[in-house]
Amino acid sequence: MGLQMFVNALLLGGLYALMGIGFSLQWGISGIINLSYGAMVLLGSYLSLIIFNMFHIDPFISMLFTGALLFLLGAFIYRFALQPLLKGGIVFTLIVTFAIRLIVENIILLVWSADYRTIRVSYAGSNFQFLGAFFPLTKFLTFLVAGVIIYLTYQFMTNTKIGKGIQAVALDKEGAMAVGVDDQKMYLINFALGTALGGVTGTLWATIYSFSPHVMDVIIGRVFIIAILGGLGNIWGAAAGGILLAFVETSGAIFVGSHWQEAIGLVIMVLVLLLRPHGLIGKKFFG
Amino acid sequence: MVTQDDNKFNKNIILIIAAVIIFIFLPNFISGYYIRIFTAIFMYATISQCINLMSGYMGYLPFGHVMFFGIGAYMSAILMKLGLPVFIAIPMACLSAIIVSIILGFPVLRLRGHYFAIATIGMNGAIMTVVQNATEITGGARGTTFPIIMASPDVVYRYFYLAMLSLMVITSLVMHVVVNSKFGYGIRSIKANEDAANSMGINTTFTKVTTWAIAALFTSIAGGIYGYWMSFIAPDEVFDLMFITNSIIMMLIGGAGTILGPIFGAFIVETVSEVAWSGFMQYHLAALGIATIVIVFFVPRGVIGTITDKIRNRRIELSKKAEVTNG
Amino acid sequence: MADNDIILDVRSISKHFGALKAVDKVSFQARKGEIVGLIGPNGAGKTTITNLVTGELRKTEGEVYFKGINVSRMQPFQIARIGLTRTYQVVKPLQGMTVEENILVGSLFGRSDRQNDLNHAKKTAHEIMELVGLDKKKEFKVSDVTLPDLKRMEFARVLAMDPEVIFLDEVMAGLNPSEVEESMELVKNIRTEKQLTIVYIEHIMKAVMGISDRIIVLHHGQKICEGSPTEVCDNPAVIEAYLGKKYAKEVIKS
Ligand SMILES: Nc1ncnc2c1ncn2[C@@H]1O[C@H](COP(=O)(O)OP(=O)(O)O)[C@@H](O)[C@H]1O
Ligand SMILES: [Mg+2]
Repeated sequence: MGLQMFVNALLLGGLYALMGIGFSLQWGISGIINLSYGAMVLLGSYLSLIIFNMFHIDPFISMLFTGALLFLLGAFIYRFALQPLLKGGIVFTLIVTFAIRLIVENIILLVWSADYRTIRVSYAGSNFQFLGAFFPLTKFLTFLVAGVIIYLTYQFMTNTKIGKGIQAVALDKEGAMAVGVDDQKMYLINFALGTALGGVTGTLWATIYSFSPHVMDVIIGRVFIIAILGGLGNIWGAAAGGILLAFVETSGAIFVGSHWQEAIGLVIMVLVLLLRPHGLIGKKFFG
Repeated sequence: MVTQDDNKFNKNIILIIAAVIIFIFLPNFISGYYIRIFTAIFMYATISQCINLMSGYMGYLPFGHVMFFGIGAYMSAILMKLGLPVFIAIPMACLSAIIVSIILGFPVLRLRGHYFAIATIGMNGAIMTVVQNATEITGGARGTTFPIIMASPDVVYRYFYLAMLSLMVITSLVMHVVVNSKFGYGIRSIKANEDAANSMGINTTFTKVTTWAIAALFTSIAGGIYGYWMSFIAPDEVFDLMFITNSIIMMLIGGAGTILGPIFGAFIVETVSEVAWSGFMQYHLAALGIATIVIVFFVPRGVIGTITDKIRNRRIELSKKAEVTNG
Repeated sequence: MADNDIILDVRSISKHFGALKAVDKVSFQARKGEIVGLIGPNGAGKTTITNLVTGELRKTEGEVYFKGINVSRMQPFQIARIGLTRTYQVVKPLQGMTVEENILVGSLFGRSDRQNDLNHAKKTAHEIMELVGLDKKKEFKVSDVTLPDLKRMEFARVLAMDPEVIFLDEVMAGLNPSEVEESMELVKNIRTEKQLTIVYIEHIMKAVMGISDRIIVLHHGQKICEGSPTEVCDNPAVIEAYLGKKYAKEVIKS
């Protein structure tokens, strides 16, 4: 793999990492496989598209707004659509998140149609060279921003009261409840945070790639693999999983052809599930 | 001695036979459009029945189960292109689906809950990619065709209508026998508590793999008939997870863990989405989503499940009352 | 104890969880028709021993022979099918099923695995439900019955499996004194009626002392003493580790 390949994979990996963390937190800690996650990511893209078109606000700024909005949406969904169904088991939460996805997909189709959209910021074409490799500016910025957000998420989870509460219910629900942690509140905040991370990913994604409702399925396929590779609910695990997947895809595209790359990711995921169910890194939570 | 239960049982059998006879002759009275809708309903009821066996009865949600639908469709297409007649091609396709289910079943059915569901999705995706890339055999991503049936459309419609109807009826009967047998108690015990089931003498691995093979059997036949019916199939269509999500919704609406549930669910969902398609095409996805949420919240046990619950509770109430008056 | 009556022979089994030796080289035997009490403070390793013998946990070392067959590497269902089974300290009912169905599953599978006649199995289940006093609750879902009834149901389920050796893991926990009395009678009667061998794990001292032919005391995963109820009570190591002098005297007096 040449240096340029390496750089491309790494830059893509940053975005994958951020995208995977939100999904992994929701699954590993709140216990919900969120089939609407792809829809939430896309909402982040489309929201920043509106903001860009109407107010000419750069996505790197509007992501604060899309993140906040999706946090609220995630909290709302958890509280009113998921929390009441938790005791019904996996079938119910799966099918309801899928239903939410259908609704969002329908809204997107009505408002924006199935066409591909792009956000072209003024500096979209610029790039710079470093150590002999090309760095497209937007890709480099998304990588940087993704890294910062991942770091902040980790700090939030380990150093704030709420973060510690979330960690406590994730590790030992009964124990945490016994010392007065409100478990449902923690699950809700964690789920909302995951949704927000998805939305921010969507906004960042929109500065590089074009997007349409079809992208939903692509995203869901990726985040499953990333979350499983990294071990559920594990921030650094998911980050590593995202970068790993980016490398697998990039090198897979070279060595076996791009039409096989999806299968490679899936096969690796199934193997990890069977052989190392706690993920490649192996430690549970926040490792 | 004829008990009340026996009487009820006989009445149910007569009702079911009557319904089947009505459906056999129904195509004489309805247009091709409705014949096609009913054919789709029978197909969905069959798949939903298989999902129900795995999830409603055994507690393993096979999200990627559509892989057997796709395998059934593709193997049938390939074998028929080699010149085999349909009544040999589909059983052989079905056999290959069973073999795949057994080979995959041993490792993947060790996973529980979420992990099982997701691993099957991964396997489905991997198999689909193989089909997309084995262009010489499968026709690749652009799809493949079945031999064309030389008959008038009217005859063809009825042919597939009756094929899917028979499949649904046979599937439901087999499921009924399976879940009420000793083996069926094993299946239900696994959902109830797998560790306890094992320590009570149930060979859980064998039971799980066999159950998955049964579910693969009928799903793959549905896939074979569907492919022949459509006469053209493509990988992203016959391996589409949408088949499974629809089947799950049908199972939930009709009543998971009941035999009539998936059939009723298929009727309800297909009718509703047909209306939604024709009436509010632009909103049909949202309509389906909202309907699903409403159902899950307000009739979580499904139509049939709610009714049987009511009947059971009435019986318990009655027996309590009888006890009070007797004692 | 090399007589032919020995039905269960546990040979130096151990289970380590990381550094913790939850069970450490424990050996014991049980004769046909005997009630062996297995006692020890919380965390002594009683439940873990049960899990090791019934195949639910993999042993770190050691062997288990049942009716002369080495069952050390068998799966739980295989062990259950030849007649060795257990109840759970933390009950494991078959959720979503009725009380009757729970017991029916026991009689359908269990030792008489070749029992394929549903009606016959139902008859067995009904007999056993009457025996343990659950016949009035048979149509109840397990989510609708009380904990003592669940424990009774687990016991009935195990009986329905027609076993030769059963491990009863704290079946009396949570019962009131009169229920304990009742339950002790039940266990004794069933032992004589069915020629069962019972390994009886219990916290309620009175029950263990009153019911056991022989008692094994565990502490920190090790067997510290074995003998008749009175011998065990007199053993200084046991008194120190577990009973407390006052209580031991009380028991001997009564
Ligand atoms: N799955 C496990 N993992 C780690 N430690 C365990 C596990 N099961 C039991 N232990 C430990 O083994 C010891 C023995 O437990 P147990 O057999 O349940 O004791 P008892 O039944 O005598 O109260 C305890 O210290 C317990 O914490
Ligand atoms: Mg214990």
